[in-house]
Amino acid sequence: MRFHFDRSQLAWPVALFLGLGAVLPILMLLLFSVLTVEDFELVPAFTFASWREVAYSATYAVLIAKAVGSGLVTALATALAGYPVALALARLPKAWKGVALVVLLTPLYTGEIVRIYAWRVVLGSEGLVNAVLQGLHLIDAPLKFLLFSPFSTLLVLFYDTLPFMVLAIWVSAEFVDRAHVEAARDLGARPWEAFLRVILPLTAPGLAAGTFAVFALAAGDMLTPSLLGGTSGATAMGMIDSLFGTAFDWPTASALALALLVVLTACAVVLAGLVLRLGGRHALIARAAP
Amino acid sequence: MRRISPALIATVVLLYLPLIVLVVFSFNRSPLMAFPLNGFTLRWYESLAGNKAFIDGFITSFLIAQPVGLLGALFGLAAALALTAPGLRWRFLFVVLLLVPFLIPKSVLSIAQVMVMSRIGFERGATALILAQSLVVIPFATAIIAAVVVRLDPGIEEAARDLGATPWQSFRRVVLPQLKSALAAAYSVGVILSLADLAISMFLAGRTQPLSLIVASQFRRELSPDLNAMQVVVLVLTALLVAANELFLRHWASARRRKTLSIPANQLVEAAP
Repeated sequence: MRFHFDRSQLAWPVALFLGLGAVLPILMLLLFSVLTVEDFELVPAFTFASWREVAYSATYAVLIAKAVGSGLVTALATALAGYPVALALARLPKAWKGVALVVLLTPLYTGEIVRIYAWRVVLGSEGLVNAVLQGLHLIDAPLKFLLFSPFSTLLVLFYDTLPFMVLAIWVSAEFVDRAHVEAARDLGARPWEAFLRVILPLTAPGLAAGTFAVFALAAGDMLTPSLLGGTSGATAMGMIDSLFGTAFDWPTASALALALLVVLTACAVVLAGLVLRLGGRHALIARAAP
Repeated sequence: MRRISPALIATVVLLYLPLIVLVVFSFNRSPLMAFPLNGFTLRWYESLAGNKAFIDGFITSFLIAQPVGLLGALFGLAAALALTAPGLRWRFLFVVLLLVPFLIPKSVLSIAQVMVMSRIGFERGATALILAQSLVVIPFATAIIAAVVVRLDPGIEEAARDLGATPWQSFRRVVLPQLKSALAAAYSVGVILSLADLAISMFLAGRTQPLSLIVASQFRRELSPDLNAMQVVVLVLTALLVAANELFLRHWASARRRKTLSIPANQLVEAAP
């Protein structure tokens, strides 16, 4: 009997790998969250105690809210900064685009720890920024808030995620026909009007994708806040990590991780959906996958 | 010369500023990471060259990155081909599944994986690390390869089938050659993501010490220029590895072409089953 092989069946091995590697662990978190811990052993005594703890604890709620907040601020900042850059990139002559892509992405190759370390050097009391400001006699003493503060955390989160936002908007912007913008200008629109009414709707899918990605990356980041945030650097992820490792409180760690996941995914989806609505119906249809 | 947008210039400056500062300080004579600079020296690099742990870490990272790139490209190829095949049901679900490793924060995923692994007795270490990193690479690899697969002309494959090629032959001789650059790109992305990763390594590496872990463990010490030099070397080595990967893959791609063309035509016909 001939076995008819259809390429779509290639999906199965991939789905299996992804299912076992990613979906299964998350489902196991669900299981772990309703177990109990006795003497450093997980006991199959089902209880919702850990969920109650997560739901009613102000600490965990604050941490999760912090994550959402970081994500929102970073998404907003990268969107605002990313648009001019992405539009400028889309206007580049074709020969330069390949180079521009490499230039944009190279800082990402360096790895998280290198970037964190580098910013620590730049922002420190004797680092670049303070040295320059003092050298120009703009300040007398080093600015302390630059490092180990919410400012440094958000700045580096912005730095890490900006290439993703720029890339997403850039891809979308490539498809915008300049003639539309010119037509709008010819009809009397001022530059910001042309942006709001022509470019923004047409690049909404890219902006939505970028927002989604940046939100997910920034809200879920653990290292940057913990290494650069000083006392403000406590994160939900850090709490999960210490609950899991040091306290061996797997049920609570699992419950908190799941709660964080659900909240972040919901926020990301809502955010991206809101951004997509900035685009016209035609922008959505044109992007529909075949 | 066209006027370059100020937004572009500002962005490039911002993106590369911290890296340039690192490089500058790694050559600075003073052990303090402070301005003003005083003198050029290579001694931090010299001490690094003698640092065995560092060199081991580099080799480890390199060796781990290759399977990750390979697996990511393979799975990405399978997923891209499956996505563009007309017979795929549950297409939306499959796409969502492909996005899952990207959407879940790496730390959450890694913690969950460690929990599962300890229950089934699977050891942390190089294998676990490779598998987990490949997982995270798959969405990227799929996107890269799918972007090219979507643009392939199905007519060429149909022609090959009409001329009597089996599905595997038509895949190997028609589709695959057109995907070479996409596969190379997906492989490179896998290597890069593996080299740069710290979040997954922190949980799953066990006793193996990739470079990122070694650097991270030094981070809590006081800042000192040999750490600086280490960072710069990591930077340069990563760039070199990426470049080496690119060159090697390009050479491999063009070498295959040269070999095929140099076989006389009648030998080619006899060789075809």
